[in-house]
Order: sequence, then structure tokens, then C-alpha cells
Amino acid sequence: MNPDDRRRRFEAVAPAVIEPVRRYLARRTDPSTADDVLQETLLVCWRRVDDMPAVEFLPWAYGVARNCLANAERAQRRRHRLFARIVHLDPPPVAVPENDPDHELTEAVARLRAEDAEILRLWAWEELSASEIATVLRISANAASLRLHRAKQKLRDELRKPGTGNGHEELTEGRRP
Amino acid sequence: MTDDDDLRSRLRRTDPAAGLAPVAPARTAQLLEKTMTTAAVKPRLDTRLILVAAAALLLIVAVGGWQLLRPPGSGHNAAGPVAVPSAGVTKKLTGPPAAQAKCIAPTATKLREYADFAFAGTVTSLYGDAVALKVTRVYRGAPADAVEVAQEGGSSETMMGSGKFEIGRDYLVASSEGGILVCGYSGEADATGLQELYDEAF
Repeated sequence: MNPDDRRRRFEAVAPAVIEPVRRYLARRTDPSTADDVLQETLLVCWRRVDDMPAVEFLPWAYGVARNCLANAERAQRRRHRLFARIVHLDPPPVAVPENDPDHELTEAVARLRAEDAEILRLWAWEELSASEIATVLRISANAASLRLHRAKQKLRDELRKPGTGNGHEELTEGRRP
Repeated sequence: MTDDDDLRSRLRRTDPAAGLAPVAPARTAQLLEKTMTTAAVKPRLDTRLILVAAAALLLIVAVGGWQLLRPPGSGHNAAGPVAVPSAGVTKKLTGPPAAQAKCIAPTATKLREYADFAFAGTVTSLYGDAVALKVTRVYRGAPADAVEVAQEGGSSETMMGSGKFEIGRDYLVASSEGGILVCGYSGEADATGLQELYDEAF
């Protein structure tokens, strides 16, 4: 692709990427990190515009955003570690609605493994299919389909458990890179 | 409604971005512009600016049996084969490779810095991959009456304008050590801004 073609392609695709990726990040981190990571994600997309799929470019871009966010969080954790002695180290912040509309569900999702919770978010919040989730996570479509199925099952199991909110809160919510 | 649908809509109700206002169009434009300009100044692009092929004059020395033309009144030894219908000095250049090149915006300063030969000329003949140009003006370098360009694959796609040499058309061409400078430094004489660039540089 010559430079003009690259530019044209990026200009055609990027506006359709910005809004969804911005939401993806708003759901997973604080506003300031989301801003930085959005810009970084666009830079990577622009540099790799030749690799960008013609049709399923959005899941591909989510995958880029996911990596950029993981990098940003690693850097943040490194900084946090410096203050570990004086500050009780927080898990990476998770964006939650200000007035939690479904506390029971939020609790149930929080008890899932990070990988399972993330796959459910991609399915429900980003409204992706199993094959699109596969593109985001860079795994096979079969693996994505299986993991999505299991994650749904686990969430249902958690929701069925009596006595939710029993204080059993592990740090499973933080996303691992 | 299936269990899946129920679960999905229940999850959706907890979407923290549900109340997020759409991004303003101005912000989108700003993000795009920032992205593309930031990426464009990466230094790695600069090194590809000059596409150097074989140094033409050395080639002539290497190929034995070619006669050197020494026109009267000129102390220069620039010479070439007789494919060019001109009795004067012929300079040989190599065209850009067919591969794509990544460019930063051309500037007169860079042109002045890079080019050791620059001229305006009209294409007089095309023989396969060999292009002959009649020189109408030399901006920089030794005077020459004709220039031969050996181009790869019959085209020089990275030049400005149509990207091709065509018989009868006028071109502005700059070169460094025998290799044509592309990336907005050579092309059709009427390509946008090219003449102005040459006027400013030389």
C-alpha cells in the first residue's frame, strides 16, 4: 500500500473505530488512562494499517486496545509498587456504574475468574460474537466459543448460589495481561 | 427469549459506558490528525528517503568498451551510451525500485541537502526500462544535454504525478549519487508544488 492509500484507508476506518474503542476503554479503566490508551491504540492501528482486516476490523482494533491497556496497567502497577509500603495496593480500577443497578450480578461477575469475566463483558457490552471474541483475544474461534459457553455457565452458577455477598471477594476482577 | 438473551441483557444493564456521551466530531478529527502526524515523523522513514541504486558514473567506468564522449567546451566526463539522440553530455541515473517507499513531506532544505544533480527535462525515448530525457535546465550539478534513467520494472511508481515516465512529458528530477530521489522530490513538472520546491531549493 502506498502512503496515500494507507492514509485514505486509515481515515475511512478510524472514525468507526474511535467511538467503540473509547467505550471499551471507559468500561475498563479510569478516564485519564482511557484517553491515553485511546491515542496509543490509534497510533498502533495507523502503524499497522496494512495488517488491519477489511471486514472485522473492530474486533482487531479491540485486540490492539486490549494490549495497549495491558501495557499501560503494567506501567501503572510498576509505579504503584514504589508506594507499596505506604499505600495499600489497589487492584487495577474497574469502572462500575455510579449507582450499581444490579448489585447481585456485579458481585457474581466479580467472583468469576478474570478471563471468564472479560469474555462475558466482550459478549454483552461490546456485543461481540464468539468468533469476534476470538479475534480480540487472538485465540481460535473454537476456543472462544468454548470459553464463552463455560463463562456463561459459571456466571449462572454464581447467580444461583445462595447467600451472595458473603465477603468472599478475591482479586479476580483485575485483568491479567 | 432464551437464557442467553436474558443473561446478556442483564449484563448490559450494568454497562458502565451506557451513559457515556458520543465523542464530538471535532475530537475525532483531532485524534486522527494527531495520530497521523505523530506517526509521520518517525525517523525510520527518513532513512528510506534516498533510494540509492548503482552509481551511474562508476557503472560507466566498469563497463568496458563504452566510449566516453567529451564534447567541446566541457571539462566533465559525464558520458553514456549512444541510445540518446543527443550529441552532448549524457548523464545516467537509476530509477527508484518498484517497491513502495514511505515518505515524509518534502522540503526545499532537504532537496538542497540531498540532491547532487537536479534538472528539468523532456522524455525523448523509452526503450524497455531505459528512459532518455532531453535536458532543458540543470538546477544543480554538471551541465548535461541528456539524461538516461534505468528504471526497475518499467515504472517509477514513487515519483510524483502519474508515477511514470512518458514520451513528450516534462519532468523535474533530482538525484543523489546516481539514484533518483523520489518521495516528492522528482516527478512531472506540473505536479502540484514540485516546480515551487525546485525554485525554492536552487
